[in-house]
Amino acid sequence: MSVQPAEPRVAASGAELSALIVAIATRADREAFGRLFRHFAPRVKSYLVRNGLSANAAEELAQETLLTVWRKAAYFDPTRAAASTWIFTIARNLSIDLKRRERYGDTYQAEAHEDEVDETSGETMLMTAEREARVRAALAKLSEEQATIVRLSFFQEKPHSQIAQELGIPLGTAKSRVRLALNRLRALLEDLK
Amino acid sequence: MSASTHPGTETLLRYAAGTLPAGPRLLVDVHLEGCPECRATVARLMSVGGALLEACEPLALAPDALDRALARLDRPSTRRNPAVLHHAEAAGATPPKRWPLPEGLKLPPGVVLPPAIASRRIGRLVPVAPGVRLGLVHLEEDPDAQVLLFRIAPGRAIPQHTHAGLEFTHVICGGFSDPDGHYGPGDLVECDAEVDHSPRVDDDGECICLAAFDGRIRFRGLLGMVTRPFL
Ligand SMILES: [Zn+2]
Repeated sequence: MSVQPAEPRVAASGAELSALIVAIATRADREAFGRLFRHFAPRVKSYLVRNGLSANAAEELAQETLLTVWRKAAYFDPTRAAASTWIFTIARNLSIDLKRRERYGDTYQAEAHEDEVDETSGETMLMTAEREARVRAALAKLSEEQATIVRLSFFQEKPHSQIAQELGIPLGTAKSRVRLALNRLRALLEDLK
Repeated sequence: MSASTHPGTETLLRYAAGTLPAGPRLLVDVHLEGCPECRATVARLMSVGGALLEACEPLALAPDALDRALARLDRPSTRRNPAVLHHAEAAGATPPKRWPLPEGLKLPPGVVLPPAIASRRIGRLVPVAPGVRLGLVHLEEDPDAQVLLFRIAPGRAIPQHTHAGLEFTHVICGGFSDPDGHYGPGDLVECDAEVDHSPRVDDDGECICLAAFDGRIRFRGLLGMVTRPFL
């Protein structure tokens, strides 16, 4: 297989990452997959470890996430979602399913809707590349403390106690700061219309 | 008073992050089916998730991780892919199957169960208090989730209960009031554990609603005894 051994250490732009997924969809491009894997798999693993998975489970699920990208690449629409958002959604869903399987075993099989995958996302994922950039701008406007709160709220299963610990504040104070930070985030996001 | 009739920002964020438990997640799914505003917020929050993923400090995989992945590319998937399900659910796609209405549930003309609920098996509705019937919504993906379908007669109070975490109520038809305001079809109400509230159903018709909980729920008095086998 012809995968370049070393990835030149340039920050990939959103458009480049999207193009890699499109290359997978249109011509089963293994080299594009290799580049996408090198960029996202370590980030997905990092996200899943923060989300409470063991390093081993996170590694497996990062693999599974990127394999899902390979299989579902045809459903990716770069005009609607950034590569990172689409991959985040896949990792999120796989981690929900993994936590369920850890609790209840493999008896339940999720129903697959192969055909419906992203036809339906037109409604929920009204995100263009530009809007993605503006989401990042909104995040940049948060204070450092608020950014920490948003990050922990996203990644921690029990964010309130984690936030209290990290910021060295009582739990009740953490709860009200979370409310303030998330309201501010939401107001900034709503400016994006 | 302006009562909130949508899920709170933190709830939508937990939904987007995938950390909301199965019961409340189902109620948010139901709400999203009918609320473009909250769907747009969830889409923005998913985008926030993407940005946070992008900003994650990379954590190195095993040296042979990519080779292993490449070797697996051409193998067909052994498992059906759940990623697809939740995506479709979140977007309100047509569910795969519909169960018949549970025994004891009559819907007023023109009212149907939300698709996310109609695809679930609901236990027989049994009377648990005067004017109050209750059935359990079965979540195959989380057998411990407590999602309850209530059918409550006009003018009746929703039974007193306490709960450890947040309580979520979604109105399917009819309406009820609590000290904060009035709620109607499509509304989703969040209640804190501290609040000891006893909402009252409108006088002009019965109310059919769903309830889900972040923590465990306990009903007081007689209802507690009657519902124990369910919960
Ligand atoms: Zn809403």
